[in-house]
Amino acid sequence: MSRLEAKKPSVCKSEPLTNETVRATLSVLKGVLTSCYGPSGRLKQLHNGLGGYVCTTSQSSALLRNLSVTHPILKILTTSVQNHVSCFSDCGLFTAILCCNLIENVQKIDLTPTTVIKLNKHLLSLCTNYLKSEACGCRIPVDFSSSQILLCLVRSILTSKPACMLTRKEIDHISTLILRAFLLTIPENTDDSIILGKSIIVPLKGQRVTDSTVLPGVLIEMSEVQLKRMLPIKKASALKVALFCVSLSGDFADTGEGTVVVSYGMSLENAALDQLLNLGRQLISDHVDLVLCQKVIHPSLKQFLSTHHIIAIDRVGVALMEPLSKVTGSISPSSYGIVKELCSAKFGSKHFFHLIPDEATICSLLLSNRNDTAWDELKLTCQAALHILHLTIKEPWALLGGGCTETHLAAFIRYKARNEPESILTDDGCTQAELQLIAEAFCSALESLAGSLEHDGGEIVTDMKYGHLWSVQGDCPSVVNWPDLLSRCGCGLYSSQEELSWSFLRSTCHPFVPQTCLPHETVSPTSNLIVDCLTAKLSGLQVAVETANLILDLSYVIEDKN
Amino acid sequence: MNNERACAQPDARCRLSRIWFDPVDNSEPSLEEIKGSQLRQCQIEIRSTPKVDHESYVHAGRILTVASFFSCFRCCFVVMACRAVNKRRHVGLQQLSSFAETGRTFLGPVKSSKFVTSEDCLESVLISSTVRLLESLDLSSTVGQLLKEAVQAQNNTYKTGSSTLLFLVGAWSSAAEECLHLGVPVSIIASVMSEGVDSCIEEVASLQVPVHSVFGHGDNTKTISGLETPRVGSCPFLQVPAGAGGIKEEHDFKDAASQSLTMYSPSRRPVKLPEFFNLPAKVKAGTEASQALRSSLHTDTCSRKSALILSRHFNQADDSLWISKPDGFLEQHSTATPETYRCRDLVELAVGLSHGDLSTMELVEAAARLQYQKACVRQGHCTVPFVFDVSRVFACCLPGVPETFSCVCSGYVTVVSTASITLIKELENQPVQVVLIEGDLTESYHHLGFNKSANIKTVLDSTELPRDSSEERWASRVLQVLTQFNVNLILVQGSVSESLTEKCVHSKRLVVGSVGSGVMQAFAEAAGAVPVTYITQVSAACVGSGVSVTAWRTPLEVRGGNDGMPVLVTVEGINLVTAVLTSSVTAQIHAKEDRFWTCAYRLHHALKEEKVLLGGGAVEFLCLSHLRILAEQSLRRGGHTCSGWLHNASSWLASSLPAYRPAVLERLAEGWRRYLSALMCNAATCSTELGAHTFIEHHVHNAAGSGSPSAYILNEYSKLNSGIFNADIPGKLEQVPRVYDSVTPKIEAWRRALDLVLLVLKTDSEIITGLGHTQINSQELEGLLFL
Repeated sequence: MSRLEAKKPSVCKSEPLTNETVRATLSVLKGVLTSCYGPSGRLKQLHNGLGGYVCTTSQSSALLRNLSVTHPILKILTTSVQNHVSCFSDCGLFTAILCCNLIENVQKIDLTPTTVIKLNKHLLSLCTNYLKSEACGCRIPVDFSSSQILLCLVRSILTSKPACMLTRKEIDHISTLILRAFLLTIPENTDDSIILGKSIIVPLKGQRVTDSTVLPGVLIEMSEVQLKRMLPIKKASALKVALFCVSLSGDFADTGEGTVVVSYGMSLENAALDQLLNLGRQLISDHVDLVLCQKVIHPSLKQFLSTHHIIAIDRVGVALMEPLSKVTGSISPSSYGIVKELCSAKFGSKHFFHLIPDEATICSLLLSNRNDTAWDELKLTCQAALHILHLTIKEPWALLGGGCTETHLAAFIRYKARNEPESILTDDGCTQAELQLIAEAFCSALESLAGSLEHDGGEIVTDMKYGHLWSVQGDCPSVVNWPDLLSRCGCGLYSSQEELSWSFLRSTCHPFVPQTCLPHETVSPTSNLIVDCLTAKLSGLQVAVETANLILDLSYVIEDKN
Repeated sequence: MNNERACAQPDARCRLSRIWFDPVDNSEPSLEEIKGSQLRQCQIEIRSTPKVDHESYVHAGRILTVASFFSCFRCCFVVMACRAVNKRRHVGLQQLSSFAETGRTFLGPVKSSKFVTSEDCLESVLISSTVRLLESLDLSSTVGQLLKEAVQAQNNTYKTGSSTLLFLVGAWSSAAEECLHLGVPVSIIASVMSEGVDSCIEEVASLQVPVHSVFGHGDNTKTISGLETPRVGSCPFLQVPAGAGGIKEEHDFKDAASQSLTMYSPSRRPVKLPEFFNLPAKVKAGTEASQALRSSLHTDTCSRKSALILSRHFNQADDSLWISKPDGFLEQHSTATPETYRCRDLVELAVGLSHGDLSTMELVEAAARLQYQKACVRQGHCTVPFVFDVSRVFACCLPGVPETFSCVCSGYVTVVSTASITLIKELENQPVQVVLIEGDLTESYHHLGFNKSANIKTVLDSTELPRDSSEERWASRVLQVLTQFNVNLILVQGSVSESLTEKCVHSKRLVVGSVGSGVMQAFAEAAGAVPVTYITQVSAACVGSGVSVTAWRTPLEVRGGNDGMPVLVTVEGINLVTAVLTSSVTAQIHAKEDRFWTCAYRLHHALKEEKVLLGGGAVEFLCLSHLRILAEQSLRRGGHTCSGWLHNASSWLASSLPAYRPAVLERLAEGWRRYLSALMCNAATCSTELGAHTFIEHHVHNAAGSGSPSAYILNEYSKLNSGIFNADIPGKLEQVPRVYDSVTPKIEAWRRALDLVLLVLKTDSEIITGLGHTQINSQELEGLLFL
């Protein structure tokens, strides 16, 4: 007899954003994210409270993955940021903080959500159009004929992740490696469409960071003893490769529900082994030189193959299968592949088989770092950097980093809203006064985002010509000789000796047209610019504004209590 | 005591747990200090999880029970939530420095052992190394976990340098905390400390000593054992004449207790060392430098005289205890290692790297020599520089056998059951054939990755039942194979079925289980065997031959108890050396093994890198002087110093960095000074911190005055060796050996220590994931923020 239980009624809460606890948790989340932002951001130790692995990070991807938030509003926020990060690998914290700032700023303004959302959308499209336009003053073209901007791009990403624990020298070393790995994934002979290859990150924990290196081809780790047994490899010409993704361990396929009945004295294992040895004979008659298997090869088959001078490597792992089939050109099980050369390599205490392809877009990036948590962070960062480089090929532009884009954009919006409001407001019933209010909220959200780069009590000023960000000591006297106090702007493009005038952020100053930089002339070969990926930042901006709009638009949270 | 800090920690709890330690270990915090620290430190928790080892109750006379304290405060909790940390008080750093304090006594050549006891089950473990200490402590806080990981990573990679790492973690986390107190921004502390340590690493290159072809020169057949006792493993640079009040005059009965705990073997051989050579001031290129080294080697006579071993536990009065007995060990030793090709350079290197543990280093040195000979035999002559291959060294521990029976021998020594005694007698004096099994030797064993299917039923077609069990049929099949190929020795990497072992013994075959992969490979190479996974794979080509099996006889026929007897399995030309480690005190055997590997890896690194650092505090002293000079320079120059270390050069931090730089460098240097003074106090070169302080400052002053600290250090070293420093020490010690250290492990330990400190410094909150609100007790709720 089943028992019926009365269903609990759903709980419906109206105007969730007005709730004090929601505001409080939102500001806690914002605090956590803001304190992580930028090169001098503070790290967070993530752990489960029961001992064991501790993850030290300041990256949004690692942080949000482990953070399980309870309130639906926070869930909307974290999910959309995670979506953005999974597509673009960068600007996650930018997106999340901007979204929090927008929500916070708008709440102080007494306007209906509909108006706010409408105006936010206008401002967003103003921003995206500007950033995409030729007139944009805060973006520079990426020149693929030299490594300079590309290195700056990679270096900026590495610098912004302090939990990698890299020194400057190490950052230079890793940036070069990442760039080299990226270049190795670009095919040499291109037809109409380019298919980029893959960089495999091989862990080399416990070694020095400068021991990291990049090699073309695939590395398969194995024990020294195993390696010694297979060496030396005599063959000089290319090797014929058979690649298996099925297990050759000689066990039987899962029988599912059914039962296999075997009469006494029969050995299924021997029967399976006989089949495997038949396979071995086939491989020998096909003159295969190298057998690679994702899973296990039966020791007897291995022995059989090695007596016929075939190298058998098993337990390659699923992660290497796709690169291996690319490198060798072998499509399991229908065709054999080719490897140009096979040699052994030793890095740190680890031993590897190194498969060198004839021409392929696969490379191995051997990453090392001193401790586990820093290695994990470095791995995520390298993956992000490689992804960003791929995105940059599609859209070869970079935005000025270090907060300069944000302050520049804010100056631009302020100017537009004050001087050309009609160009923003198209006939949908919003007044200019409303536009001023929302534009101010939007700009201050951007500016306080730029200000979040500062964690040691410094202040942010902006110049009145380019609208770039400059950082200054916290308690500096009010009347100062600015050019002496400041050195370079946040992105490193301008120096303080250029006859500029400065003002504190949030101070009432006259709106101005931020001028366009002339990157070709100003970027000297030695300059160390901080740049961001345009694609990622643009998407981040869109996600932030749209998520903020969505959250502002929420009027009821209905919770099923059953 | 900082009251402000104490008040700032309202939720400070203190749970006391016990560490039992060596009573003479006067560097441990006193009870008063501990009480004080509780105020300061809140609470530290050591939950010990000792391995059950009842034999480790080695009684050290009176064991003091001292409550030790550990803090376990969360920086900030986030159950998906966080608590902001007070800018000036960094809990993580405080935790690091208090954890690190536990390992203070492991620094330097004179290590005091500790008992770690568990409150719950009254078990205790004898600990004499940093790695083992951290293994036994349950450091459940995040910082403790990171510390443990850092020490383990260092140990796994280099097997040495862990104590240095632990100490520097403590010293530098206090340094970083002091900087925070001074109001230095976190980013600046991180970048200046990182710059300072990197600059130190560059600087100590001038104290590198090239090591070249130590095996290739000289025809001196003396080993460490044949030479005279030096003041082993002390810190030559920092030695103080006794007259200066350096050596503690009064000592009490507690010393007697300490003797069983200090890790000196009573069988210490007298040693004589090359007493003086001019060291090239800078690292010179290969041959030139080694020429200089060799030509200036002092070849002195070898008069056996007793000398005291420098330790705070001994003074002049009782050095008679430590007069070395010139007994027959050397002869025994050479029966195990019949060769006589010795070279003084290796002796010097080995003694320098022994760090006070000469008896262990002797074994390592002998192992290296054996390996070198084999290499020479194999290759005709050694063209490539010889590298001591640690993977081809095996350590066999024989507890219960007196220490004097430790030795090295070519081949594989292992313990087999006493049931095989007669079998071994029969196998002796005849070459036997061997097979190598990589898996287990049991009926049910399948290779890795083989999944047994559950749904298989076997049916009997006939009514006749099989006579034997499948196990028996398998065993007879195995024996059949062994008989067919005439195999008398089976080395198995995994476990072995007991019934099969018995059957094999009956048919005159010896089965040895749990053989390491390095050993298997050595036998595969030398005996020509091919390792197989299943016995059914064995073919004529897999069988190795020419193996000899003999009982490993100690000269006095000492047997290691009833549970087994050691046998020596070897084959002509095998590249495998076994170090037989014996100790009559069972509790010490693991420590002995640890020390053996530490020494082995130190020698390995030195030979591999072909260079060593001057040890005994010399490099640390150079770092100290160097940082002091740097700090002073940047103080004088003021504004214009490189800000190249900050990642973000455009920030205001870059321009205000010069203002903070001297202060941070000064604190960093203070870390080195603490290191040196701990080293001196541990080694009893100085009885008090104050004495050590004065001594160090005196030399820092002189070094700075001399213009070049590295030249000053080298000069002091020479003086020390020519006896100027030692004139007042009774016992007429005119020779002091140089102390060496491996280069990369040491420098990496510094970097790892700094990395850990900076990682914790830059952390501002702790996020606890996956807990519901209910799972946190109300006491801990305070200061938590929830998401």
